[in-house]
Amino acid sequence: MLIDYFLMAVNSIRHRKLRSWLTLIGIVIGVAAIISLITVSRSLESTIESQFEQFGANRIIVSPRGFQGPGTSSEGLTVKDVETIEKIPGFEYVVPGIFLSTEVSYRKEAGFTLVSGIPAENFEEFFVDSGVKLQQGRFIKEGDKFGAVVGSRVVEDMFRDKLRLGSKIEIKGQEFKIVGVLKEIGNSQDDNQINILLDTAREIFSKPDDVDAIIAQVKYAGDIPLLQEKIEKDLERKRDDTNFQVVTATQILEQINQVLGIMQFVLVGIAAISLVVGAIGIMNSMYTSVLERTRDIGIMKAIGARNSDILKIFLVESGLIGLVGGIFGVLFGSAMALIIGQFSKSAGFTLIVKIEPLILIFGLLFAFAVGIISGILPAYQASKLKPVDALRYE
Amino acid sequence: MTTLIKLEDVHKIYKLDSTEVPALNGISLSINKGDFVALIGPSGSGKSTAMNLVGCLDLASKGEIYLKEHNIKHLSESDLAQIRGKQIGFIFQVFNLVPSLTALENVALPMAFQNVPRGIRLKRARELLEQVGLSDRMKHLPSQLSGGQIQRVAIARALINDPEIILADEPTGNLDTKTGDEIMKLLYDLNRKGKTIILVTHNPDLTKLANKIIRLKDGKLVGS
Ligand SMILES: Nc1ncnc2c1ncn2[C@@H]1O[C@H](COP(=O)(O)OP(=O)(O)OP(=O)(O)O)[C@@H](O)[C@H]1O
Ligand SMILES: [Mg+2]
Repeated sequence: MLIDYFLMAVNSIRHRKLRSWLTLIGIVIGVAAIISLITVSRSLESTIESQFEQFGANRIIVSPRGFQGPGTSSEGLTVKDVETIEKIPGFEYVVPGIFLSTEVSYRKEAGFTLVSGIPAENFEEFFVDSGVKLQQGRFIKEGDKFGAVVGSRVVEDMFRDKLRLGSKIEIKGQEFKIVGVLKEIGNSQDDNQINILLDTAREIFSKPDDVDAIIAQVKYAGDIPLLQEKIEKDLERKRDDTNFQVVTATQILEQINQVLGIMQFVLVGIAAISLVVGAIGIMNSMYTSVLERTRDIGIMKAIGARNSDILKIFLVESGLIGLVGGIFGVLFGSAMALIIGQFSKSAGFTLIVKIEPLILIFGLLFAFAVGIISGILPAYQASKLKPVDALRYE
Repeated sequence: MTTLIKLEDVHKIYKLDSTEVPALNGISLSINKGDFVALIGPSGSGKSTAMNLVGCLDLASKGEIYLKEHNIKHLSESDLAQIRGKQIGFIFQVFNLVPSLTALENVALPMAFQNVPRGIRLKRARELLEQVGLSDRMKHLPSQLSGGQIQRVAIARALINDPEIILADEPTGNLDTKTGDEIMKLLYDLNRKGKTIILVTHNPDLTKLANKIIRLKDGKLVGS
């Protein structure tokens, strides 16, 4: 009966020597790797997806294609391009933005971060549609020429002293007053960003025409592919070059998912290899166990054990070993995933790691199955022993 | 008298690499229900070999062996296992017990292979251990028992499925005379209760208990 075989297996495993416990390391590492990898990458996926949901799927982003090589006149985007896009019907608004990494100082202490300029008319809309909310204060209005809305980490830890609403910071020798602080977004770049008015930014950075990115908010999500194509065509005609790229949020998401998929595939491959090593470990341990217990097998056969009984006894044992390895693997794997989550948080990227019971159960069942499969050959060998030979074995 | 065991011209040849070792050379005999048979002969004469064949632990190279009406060479592996479990009780000279199981679990083990529920098994095992005088050693592992105690545990185990035949291969070979006599007394009592016993021994004194003596020499019967 299975319960007896189970008790016998527990008994046998309890009497095992350290050496045979060491053979478990393979399966523990394999299962731990699978559990942590799947958990982390699924968490990554859902974190990115939820950020994109905030970001809004209804956006088309136009950016310069970047430096084309020395000698080429790499013409970036300009206000002319913004006008071209604005002429196309179907957008709620079109926001040109400029971004510059620059020195920022507060009470003589210097910091370095990204400053963005966004037009006053769409300032609030732009953030609201991005899903970013205010923690304190308000958004910049038409008249706030030298007001700034800053990310949560700018006030928290950019400078020795914490900033407050109303604190004065200096950019390019010009003083700005903090009128609003954004809620935490979850990635360090956004949370360290300082947002000011586009016109002000053009003035202090002396960039009258340049545009670093154009964000076009479409009215109906269904129009996105058509509008994307139209932007591409019109820009190409007007500019007479293709030094720009037009992407949608969904496209970026797809690309990220594709990369994630490849990553998952490779990592699961690595985990599978370590599981094979684990399986060989269990098989080796079971062969040893069969040898050590040859005489027991003889005794059991002499008192009525059938070949199938012996087979089951050893299969249950190897399944149980797999399961024990699986339990440790699942524990270590979950711990590892949580640690990675903590680590990413301190690195400035909020990864919400969720431990999913279904994945844990899958890990356990998988380890159990690996155990049983690894036990098949040794158990079969044990079951086929002739009673006399087994009894005489020294 | 019903014939329980019958051997007809049984041969057993062990093959070692290229050489053949003949262990039994044409044995014919029959044993009746209720017999107490002593199987004696010098070392290497084939006693254990004969015993293993009767106990279905091995198959003859030639000849027929009947247990009751069954010719055992026509039985399947699992049928033979059933016979070993239910009709026969084994007591060996050494290494009788599973070392990782307690005395009680060892005694109960043959019933596990007959799918008897655990509660019933352990109850019956306790009764048998009491009968052989080991009620205070049930939770001991074999390594914590003396040689005589181990043999008594083995006897209790041999009885648990209430078999008709008890095969004992030099059960007292490793014991001092006094302990050996106690074991012999247990076997004698079992025979009185109707069990058929085949006892392999070197000791001519022990043959006094038997009603039938089989002498082996070089794999053949001597006299009779
Ligand atoms: N598995 C085996 N392989 C090869 N030869 C064997 C095997 N088992 C027994 N023999 C040989 O068969 C012969 C009979 O052996 P068996 O064990 O039956 O003798 P025995 O009468 O029981 O002796 P003992 O009194 O010493 O136990 C011996 O010559 C022995 O070497
Ligand atoms: Mg012998």
